[in-house]
Amino acid sequence: MSSIVRPPDPCLVAIILIVRSQAGPRFVFHYPPNPLSENGLRGAAKARRPSRTKSKSNDSSSSEDSSSSSSEDEDETQPPQNQSHMAGSHPVAGRRSSNFGLDDGVMSASPGGESQRAGSVGSGRGMMRKRGTNSDAEDDAGAASDRQDDEAGGDGGPYRPPWESLLGLPADVWEKLLSPSRSWHKRRFEVGINDLAFVGWPVFMREDGTWRKQRRKKRKPRAAWEGGELGHNENPGDDAEEDVRDDEAIDASTETLSPKQMAASESQWMSMASSKSIRTMSESLDADDKDSMTMFNVAFVLDPPLLEYSMRLREIYDNIIKKFSKALKWEQARTGYVWKEAQHISHIKEKAKEKRMSMNGLYSELINQSSLARAIYTMFTSISASKIASVTLSADVSISLQIPPLTSTPWLPGPTDKAYPGLWLTTADSVTPIDDPTADENTAPHQVLAKHFALLLLDNEAAILKDVEASGGALAPALAHYIRCSKPTKSFAQISVSSGIPLSTIQMLASHLVYWRRARAIPPLHQRDTYVVSPNCDLSKLELATSVYQTTFPTLPSLPKMLSAMSGTPRPYGSFIPSKDHKDTYFTILAWLLRGGWVTQLRAFARIKIPPEIKMAVETVLRREEVEQYLRKRSSDETKEDFDDVSSSSSSSLDSHDSGEETPMPGRYKQDNELAVSHSFLDRNTSLKTSSLIHYPHRASPLESRWLDEVMSRFPDLQGGEVSDGDLEYVGLQTSLKKYWPTFIKYFNGYDALEKIPVRESLKRKLVWQILMRLGLVTGQQSSIQLDSREQVLVSVRHW
Amino acid sequence: MIKAIFYSKFDTQEGPKVVHQVPDGAIVPSATAPAQPLFLTFSDISFFVIPRQELCGNLIQVCTNGYRILGYPICMKSLRYDRNEFIFNFCVVLAEEEDFSTYKSVVQKLADLMHGLEEQNGFLSRDHSKPGEGKVYSLCETLMEDLNNYCECMIPIDELNTLNIKLFPVYPAPPPVKAWHVPLFTVRYQTFMDENWDLTMQRIVPHINGVNSIRIISILADTDFSLTCRAIRHLLYYGCLFLLDIFSFSAIYAPTAQFSSTIAIDEDMQQECARYVNTLFASPITAASAALTPGYPSRHDPDAVWPPIGDPLTTSSASEMTIPSRTPSPSPSSGTNPASSTTTNHHHHHHHHHEQPHQHEHLQHHNHHTLIHNLPPTSSHPSSQPVVDGIGLVELYASLKQGQSIKQWYLHHTRQLTHIDIRRFITFGIIKGFLYRVHKYAYATGNPAPPLKSSLYHHSHSHSHHPSSTFQIPSGPSSRGPGTGTNSPYASSVGDDPAPISQHQQQNQNQHRDEAAGAGGGQGQGQGQGHGTASVASGSRAGTIVTVEAEADDEDDDDIDDKTLSRYLDGMHCFDQICTELEISERELTGRLKRFGGEVLILHR
Repeated sequence: MSSIVRPPDPCLVAIILIVRSQAGPRFVFHYPPNPLSENGLRGAAKARRPSRTKSKSNDSSSSEDSSSSSSEDEDETQPPQNQSHMAGSHPVAGRRSSNFGLDDGVMSASPGGESQRAGSVGSGRGMMRKRGTNSDAEDDAGAASDRQDDEAGGDGGPYRPPWESLLGLPADVWEKLLSPSRSWHKRRFEVGINDLAFVGWPVFMREDGTWRKQRRKKRKPRAAWEGGELGHNENPGDDAEEDVRDDEAIDASTETLSPKQMAASESQWMSMASSKSIRTMSESLDADDKDSMTMFNVAFVLDPPLLEYSMRLREIYDNIIKKFSKALKWEQARTGYVWKEAQHISHIKEKAKEKRMSMNGLYSELINQSSLARAIYTMFTSISASKIASVTLSADVSISLQIPPLTSTPWLPGPTDKAYPGLWLTTADSVTPIDDPTADENTAPHQVLAKHFALLLLDNEAAILKDVEASGGALAPALAHYIRCSKPTKSFAQISVSSGIPLSTIQMLASHLVYWRRARAIPPLHQRDTYVVSPNCDLSKLELATSVYQTTFPTLPSLPKMLSAMSGTPRPYGSFIPSKDHKDTYFTILAWLLRGGWVTQLRAFARIKIPPEIKMAVETVLRREEVEQYLRKRSSDETKEDFDDVSSSSSSSLDSHDSGEETPMPGRYKQDNELAVSHSFLDRNTSLKTSSLIHYPHRASPLESRWLDEVMSRFPDLQGGEVSDGDLEYVGLQTSLKKYWPTFIKYFNGYDALEKIPVRESLKRKLVWQILMRLGLVTGQQSSIQLDSREQVLVSVRHW
Repeated sequence: MIKAIFYSKFDTQEGPKVVHQVPDGAIVPSATAPAQPLFLTFSDISFFVIPRQELCGNLIQVCTNGYRILGYPICMKSLRYDRNEFIFNFCVVLAEEEDFSTYKSVVQKLADLMHGLEEQNGFLSRDHSKPGEGKVYSLCETLMEDLNNYCECMIPIDELNTLNIKLFPVYPAPPPVKAWHVPLFTVRYQTFMDENWDLTMQRIVPHINGVNSIRIISILADTDFSLTCRAIRHLLYYGCLFLLDIFSFSAIYAPTAQFSSTIAIDEDMQQECARYVNTLFASPITAASAALTPGYPSRHDPDAVWPPIGDPLTTSSASEMTIPSRTPSPSPSSGTNPASSTTTNHHHHHHHHHEQPHQHEHLQHHNHHTLIHNLPPTSSHPSSQPVVDGIGLVELYASLKQGQSIKQWYLHHTRQLTHIDIRRFITFGIIKGFLYRVHKYAYATGNPAPPLKSSLYHHSHSHSHHPSSTFQIPSGPSSRGPGTGTNSPYASSVGDDPAPISQHQQQNQNQHRDEAAGAGGGQGQGQGQGHGTASVASGSRAGTIVTVEAEADDEDDDDIDDKTLSRYLDGMHCFDQICTELEISERELTGRLKRFGGEVLILHR
């Protein structure tokens, strides 16, 4: 149960911009000004790491360390201490609780070697700490200028403004550390210091002094970057032309759009790359300043929990770090943006140093005056709050980045799992194979939203429309039109028919809205479907949600009442709707409840049960067939003798599993091809005395196929098979099941919700449910259907 | 797996330099090494290996070329060194994607040791041996070999110093545990417990049986509650425990999304389940005779595990009498066999000590050998009696659903459940993750209490006064539509019948009587004190500590005032918690909620 997916946790501590020019590396900018300090600008400091401020000292204190470190959010319980009764080892790691276990008594240490840890840099420490004896570097540090506290150097040395140090180390250490050699050009650069990770995607100037390969062919020029709000599919890479290696940069989760769209956006990127502007820019820069930039690196400082280290790093690297650096590279190539801004920032800092400005003063000035400083500021504040970062680099270029949030999970956390209450609990995954329930859902995920899904807006329609229109992107009119047509009760395909918008366009627009957190793809709401209070709903928000609900639906039953009503035995949502006039309102309520994760759809899943009677019947037939076959073979044996020698070698290996079948068959001694095939029907591992389920009806083994045939052959032929047109109500009760069995059978695999059948097969829901109930689906509803035991072949279960 | 270990130092002439490397030629070219590609370019990473002074004394790692280099540079200052300082670093090279958490301490430990050795006698600075030779080199070599092969090492260096390292996996911090959680061992603690264990731990482990809640455990063991929680968390950290919920017959369970991919298709799991829940296996008599029977016919018959379907009126009571450790079923007809519920949880843990291993409440994943010889005689002729086969178990699980208490479910499936231990049956599903407990929460809306549906109220009330009447299965859907103002908030709650086992209060005394009474008194203060016949039906469940007499007192038992109660009515406290903390049964709680001065809604989640 530990395989629960975790929603993104940015673990972002700071962002640092380093550039290198002929004059050497330069620490240009970092945000926030005082990372990891409790009283810094970062008011919304995560409260989740109270413990790491504690500096570990030595063994004797380690048990207190471990207990204090994991005592967060506990009311009455205490965590285990360093109890020695358990194998002599030590529970160390925890989410944000251990200082990476470095100082906990993980190893039984010889006292001689144990000494105080140094460790000046770490997420728990905002500033330089007194060093231990591990490293003697501090011996002369008092005299050296690099002895840093956060205060301006008080030792009478030259004035060093507070922004020239970070995490207790002077800027010149960072600029050296974070400007790697050229071998990291456009690769992941990852350095760790204690429990902090510094991750970047450094970009170097090309040998010829440009920032991108010169293009031979020019595409038709386009002036504006359109990779902003609308372009989640953008591959902000000019790299297609440079480096095939970077093609993998396109994150799978962003590829929800059609290939056509992708190509179009790529051309937007490309079109910006008119080599003319690059040359003019670099020329002008050279004229302005003899120094020029050779590298820049935007390093993101992260403090991922040890157990999630690589996952967290990958998330932010793929979604944010790489894309942001690519956008900067692109602007650098086009207008020399990064170098220009770096010089601008350095200039402001220099002046601030002269004026002995305060940190806050400097930062507000920087953020006001430099678009790059502002971009980094926005990036930090948005991403560290798990929001979408919309960053404007210049009038032409803006980019939106996010770590895609987890929108749903099929896993219900247990008491020992980390819970994410409020997360939508479902197995209804919108990007799985659409019309082919036979395909393996895990291996071939479609990147297109399934057409039988519907769109559930996550905000009210008016607010989203307003935002869409305000953004004014190229897609805005289409989006607005689609949003107005969309209904959570109608699937994409249905909306397409009713509105005339092509299905592929709808899927593209919908996945755009889903990606940018405006909507969610859900199975269409229906009054015959059943919804229950989600076991994962966040009851701590009940009070707040109740009042919001109250203002939204003032005259209707309150939220707790609604939830209480949906708490009992599951029943179709329609039974909660008091009258036809209330239908629309109650669907609005249902959408509201789903949006907040309060309820989830309970869906039915089924498999076909093969009882021993069927097995025995099939077995009897099989054995009779075998005997007959043998007898027939023998009569024509003389003519085929040559073939037998050839085939026996290949079939004997198959046969060897089956030898020893209870009843001796004449055929066992006379092996030939056809006999081998029939023999495999008698799977030795299959007990004939107990029932079986058909796991995958579409991949039924030969034996299973025979069983299924037998099952179907036992369905009674109904006399009133010809349905009178006027009696559509009971069509599902009067038709022989043989008619629908071939259509339905592929859904009986335990993974496809039976609710899909009417939608995908375009059948009436009532008909489908009547048939399913005859087949043995237990819905919990009273029904007047006469059940025939010969038809009751399903084992069904209901879950989300 | 360590790919390489190398020792690097700052050479006053040459700058950062690799002195020793294992394997040879991994980091820098070596004349003695066979021609092979280097793992990486040392000049790319030399700044991180031998960094500026300020960075020394920190754990520094860098990734390059698919490798992760972990190091802990040390800077020592002394007049005896050139330029008065000596900077060195012992680095461990791992594959970049490999989990490096356990190696961080290795690197640090190594740095500490070398720092000390250098301080004592210039162990490093006096080592002028050629690359690939000498003490320092062989230390690196042994270290890498031992850690890769044995995950630990003990390398003597001189008469005073030894390098001891052991790799420990990093586990997540154990979650906070709650008073109403029910721990269940995944291992047999007796096999590794010794007298050096923590005293609290030693006292609580006998009471961990999958039935007792943590609160009850601390009461039974007479240990401090918070210490008990810490001990439980400690066991959780090492994966020795599962946490379950409090089992009661008024509880509701339903399948999770894991159902289709686990029990429904996993025939081994179905077999495992059958062995775990089949009450015939729990009988020491049958087990012993089965084990003694030579050539026991069903030994090789996998179908022998399935519990037979029986007639509840005859076989169930008979089997219950012989099986002290089984969890009783709610019997639909009372009085058929007053001795049929001679069952306490104390039997459970007591039998652990003395009896057959199969009696343990452990869920062992590979226990064919321990269990297969305990096959009951009935299974020697399996075809003669219908059994609940693997699919039968699946169907039973699938028939659990929201809004239906275990008791109601039992009444629908009495025949199939004759030889199935219901508590184990549920526990199995919880542990495997294909069932979840539907918890109940109460929410006080602040509105005045609606007029109660008197019929409903009296209906359930009559039960409590006439425990001998047959249970009725509530039929028909509850009132249609929310907010009609007429439906009682309690209509959907099915937990307000008395706990069924309490109806057959055990009459015969048993050896654990004192213990039982003590537990009952401890948790039943709200209601049960002074009732001489009070007994513990299932110790973990506050909800089942119900005495026949106590029912009569329900109405005037107003120890819990509305103010105390209202703290729990914010929808954030499940019934298990409320019952545990207020020390009342679920039935009492529902009764008390009806008398709460305001509207209370019950939510199932």
